[in-house]
Amino acid sequence: MHAETWHHAAPALPVWQRAVQGAQRHLLSTAAVVVLMVVLLPFLWMVQMAFRPAGDALSLDLVFSPTLEAFAGLWQDNFARSFGNSLLVSVLSTGLSLLLGVPAAYALSRWRFKQRRQVALWVLCTRMAPPIAFTIPFFLAFRWLGLLDSVWGLVLVYLTFNLAIVIWMMQGFFEAIPTALEEAAWMDGCSIWSAFWHVTLPLTRPGLVATAVLCFIFSWSDFFFALILTRTQAVTAPVAIVNFLQYDGWEWTKIAAAGTLVMLPVLLFTVLVRKYLVHGLTAGGVKD
Amino acid sequence: MPPTASLAPQALDTGPARPLPSQARGKPAAAAASRNWQRNWQRESARAYGLGLAPALVVLAAITLLPLVTLVVVSLTPLSLTDPAATFHFEQPAGNYAQLLQDQRFVDSLWVQAKLSSVSVLLQLLVGLGLALLLHSSSRVVAGLRTFFLIPMVLPPIVVALVWKIIYTPDISPMHALLEQWGWPLRSLIANPDTALWAIVAADVWQWFPFTMLMVLAQLQMVPRDPVDAARIDGANRWQVFVYIVLPYLQRTLVVCALFRLIDSFKAFPLLYVLTNGGPGTVTEVTNFYGFIQAFNFSYWGYGSAIAVVMLAIIFVLSALVSRLGRAKGDAHAR
Repeated sequence: MHAETWHHAAPALPVWQRAVQGAQRHLLSTAAVVVLMVVLLPFLWMVQMAFRPAGDALSLDLVFSPTLEAFAGLWQDNFARSFGNSLLVSVLSTGLSLLLGVPAAYALSRWRFKQRRQVALWVLCTRMAPPIAFTIPFFLAFRWLGLLDSVWGLVLVYLTFNLAIVIWMMQGFFEAIPTALEEAAWMDGCSIWSAFWHVTLPLTRPGLVATAVLCFIFSWSDFFFALILTRTQAVTAPVAIVNFLQYDGWEWTKIAAAGTLVMLPVLLFTVLVRKYLVHGLTAGGVKD
Repeated sequence: MPPTASLAPQALDTGPARPLPSQARGKPAAAAASRNWQRNWQRESARAYGLGLAPALVVLAAITLLPLVTLVVVSLTPLSLTDPAATFHFEQPAGNYAQLLQDQRFVDSLWVQAKLSSVSVLLQLLVGLGLALLLHSSSRVVAGLRTFFLIPMVLPPIVVALVWKIIYTPDISPMHALLEQWGWPLRSLIANPDTALWAIVAADVWQWFPFTMLMVLAQLQMVPRDPVDAARIDGANRWQVFVYIVLPYLQRTLVVCALFRLIDSFKAFPLLYVLTNGGPGTVTEVTNFYGFIQAFNFSYWGYGSAIAVVMLAIIFVLSALVSRLGRAKGDAHAR
């Protein structure tokens, strides 16, 4: 699957030249590994800190007996609650975005109506807007509606970017499915939406999973909205970490442990969707 | 919707319930029936699709257009926490904007933003391009390592901020400890006005170079082999191949990447909030952060909204640029 590169010269080279090329490739590979280690060092440092005993946090000694002390300490400090809030908000917001966005994406991919381009453009634009432009009106509205510091408030706010991602990504996946299959189902008496449900949707399952995972990652990672729109009840894990930081005398091993816990689901899921990652991140600008 | 309800079982036995236009060709009566059927079907399908699209559009309008209108309206008022009810008036609609022009802290924040954005976007392009070339030309094993290079980009921004908080806090930082062991003790980079912004830039580049790397890697796989091989046979060296053949293919990708990163750099928040909180003084206070402070620390919602509107306008112009370049890029590929 790895594409051949321009560094491989034309075939039928003398043996010695091929040997030189092989050596060069080894050199490049080594360089790549070294660079990777340097790049990941700051991140790995935080992870190893999470497993150190509290008094040993700043030691440069790389040999130590790992302990789960810091994680146990987090449990006592009620970090589990904000972790649970994060999970709840992310799952609810992902589910709601899919529920609303998938049919909309399907309609946009199949229905050639006049304002189609404008609708697509509007959906895409929401990705570009700075969050501060949304937070001020949402903050004022939530104060009035009593939605500040509530899980449902956050779910609603996260729809602003998740719905756009779902519509944008799923539209691409639906367009890749030939309409002939649906037409066959219509011929057999299916309605449009039952053909969608029984024929098209199962075919786009991998895309659906990727989209759901991206929505989850984006909601899970949000810090800005959660910081402004929550106080005590609906605090999510990223905001809880910052609250720890501001609390004097907090141990660094616990902060590292909290960071490790927060990034864990994201790292696991990223492996699943790395093919679609750029699509999700660039949603809004480049249209193919 | 119950999917089985519309699945008419007898239709399966007696053949197609609705004739396709092609099957009805021939007899005039059948053709008329077919046209009729087509019209009905079009109307029916439009209704069905509209039903699927409507809920999402209604919700999207409520959560994007409504806030936008609110933001603009609020930006025309002196709304603040001190007197939330009474300040909802419009005697001086442009008051906030006039004040912005005279607000040195706002003008400074634009300058900080310009410095932060330009340097970090440039570095992200260079590092991303360099690593993409390195990874593209290496063995299969290294190709498998690509995923690990993506880690900084996918980490939740707050975790990135945490990682760098550890690196930049002298008491806890392995960097500071090592430098001290080697006899180069270092003052805190983020507490020093001369270095704070560049410390933020370093962290931002670390977080986002994988984006450029990924985009360039994808584009590199589309570079055709023929011109490259031809150039190699004609005696071009590796550098010449890169500059004259590969780079032109990457040009648009690099420009689009730069604009994307530029737009996103206006939203930088967690790094600033955790590492410097806009300080020391205001040397790392970008426009987004200043707007946040005005709206949520000082509760001047009207003034904060005006800042947000100005940012929206800037981002709108940049987005228009991206979408134009993006379309041009698509055309280039179609050729």
